[in-house]
Amino acid sequence: MRPFGPLRGGAADAARSLVASARLAWAIEGNWAEPIYLAAFLIVRPLAFLGLFLAVLSIGGSLNVATIGFVVIGQAVFQIVSAALEGPTHALLDDRERYRTIRYIFATPSSLFPVSIGRSLVKASIAGFSALIVIGAGILLGVPMRAGGPDLLLVAAVLPLGLLSVVGLGIVLGGLCVQLRNDAWSYPEAVSSSVFLLCGAIFPLEVLPGPVQNIAAALPITWWIEGLRRALLGTTSPGILGTMPTNELLLILAVGTAVIWLISPRLFVAGIDRAREKGYLDRNTAS
Amino acid sequence: MGNSVVGAEATALISRIHQEATWSLGRRIRHAFASVLARAYPRVIGAAREPSWLFFDLVFPILGMCSIVFLLRSRGVDEAWIGSTILATALLSFWISVVWMMGAQFHWERDSGNLLLYITAPVGLGAIALGMAIGGALGVVIRAVIITAAGVLLFGAKYQVADPFLLALVILAGVAAMYSLGVCLSSIFLISGREADHLGSLLNEPMQLLGGVYAPVRSMGTAGVVALGILPLAPAIDALRQVAVPQLAATGILPVGVELLILLVMTIVFGVIGRVLLAHIERVGRAGGKLLARAD
Repeated sequence: MRPFGPLRGGAADAARSLVASARLAWAIEGNWAEPIYLAAFLIVRPLAFLGLFLAVLSIGGSLNVATIGFVVIGQAVFQIVSAALEGPTHALLDDRERYRTIRYIFATPSSLFPVSIGRSLVKASIAGFSALIVIGAGILLGVPMRAGGPDLLLVAAVLPLGLLSVVGLGIVLGGLCVQLRNDAWSYPEAVSSSVFLLCGAIFPLEVLPGPVQNIAAALPITWWIEGLRRALLGTTSPGILGTMPTNELLLILAVGTAVIWLISPRLFVAGIDRAREKGYLDRNTAS
Repeated sequence: MGNSVVGAEATALISRIHQEATWSLGRRIRHAFASVLARAYPRVIGAAREPSWLFFDLVFPILGMCSIVFLLRSRGVDEAWIGSTILATALLSFWISVVWMMGAQFHWERDSGNLLLYITAPVGLGAIALGMAIGGALGVVIRAVIITAAGVLLFGAKYQVADPFLLALVILAGVAAMYSLGVCLSSIFLISGREADHLGSLLNEPMQLLGGVYAPVRSMGTAGVVALGILPLAPAIDALRQVAVPQLAATGILPVGVELLILLVMTIVFGVIGRVLLAHIERVGRAGGKLLARAD
């Protein structure tokens, strides 16, 4: 147990830090407008995103709702991926440059690691609300869902694993981005956009060039989205994604998540320690 | 009170102050022109000095473009739509610049402390906004060209431009209307608090959808028709598609000439509204002492 640094204290300390940071994150993310405007924002943007893809799908003919479940679920789940990937970095940079509080957080007995996770989880939860809206819109449009309702067991297995893997990757990004002088805000978005392209969120992996397909198949996020598609739609996706048996998919997801969590705390701690030594926690890049 | 100025000396001083403070129309125009140039300069030259900005300005649109192209290819859609997507992405880079580098700029300047310098300098916010628009548009041209070239190289898109002059006119009118709207947006962002970032987000995907950026404006139904009248993206992309990708000319909702006229009217109307809004907010903000208060 380290007495000082971004990961210190016992489990109870970490839990307290996580809860406090989650409450803070909710205050930051949830009170910038009246609840009615907040709800409108959380509804309008994801629906517009979905509408954009559906408009593209309707090119050359009318929209076939029987075939858009793939895009609806992929786009809905990616809302969460994007928020969890970008969340830790934006929280760290917000605290460093916008609110200028990171030095104080570091000086308190709070541990920056659970603080970052707490902030990320709240962002992911808010995005989860948008994801539900998108799925609801899909149902209203007539997307055929799984007969008898969602496979709750599969959801219960896939959802936490996927969420953990994305938060873990987001934490690593946070540890890296506090080192940067320029455009630290932009890197998580660049990673998120690249993952969107690779993970088969809106199109089957076969459309990607050959070698890129292998990278896509190695991403836990790809299998997370596919797992949730199976749980909600009750069918497998076309192509490579559909060939993987569900138990193997779960195994890949579990192994990927374990590997990420073996590495991510170490990288985060190393990154924050280095940032502290170099004085980067006090830096203001004015970007 | 030994330094008091009285009598003829005071009259001379008042006269001199009046003379220096009352500028002729010519001097005011020259000053505004110099201000516009001064604000446009860092937008073009400064941006070129920071390669990472160029990198990210290109990476995000190109990744988005790739997603749409792969989605189109997964559906086996006519390749002409891929050419259209590339052009739309290039045009969209202007829109992104309008939202974040025009609309949100004064908001950021206020939070970073620069707005104080603008307010105390003998320059109107209108001239600064115009400089931002001209410099921003010139800076984005390079990015738009690179995005189009990258799209053509990556996906082999082909264009048949029968009238390059008309194409240039459509792009120019579209960009002018967008940046004119940007002046209006900048005043709205300026009175925004923490919701400014979210407002910027709302001006992206929803406007791309309404503007028929990747799919025909026609497919948006009534909303698309309304967008044609208020959102520069809609007539700009519709006209661009008709001029540069003739295979898709049938998807156009209005003739190119009419859309050019709409863009011209938008440029003038948004420009006037923006100028009035900025002057009003500057006046009210100075009086209330809230113009320079940080949002958070």
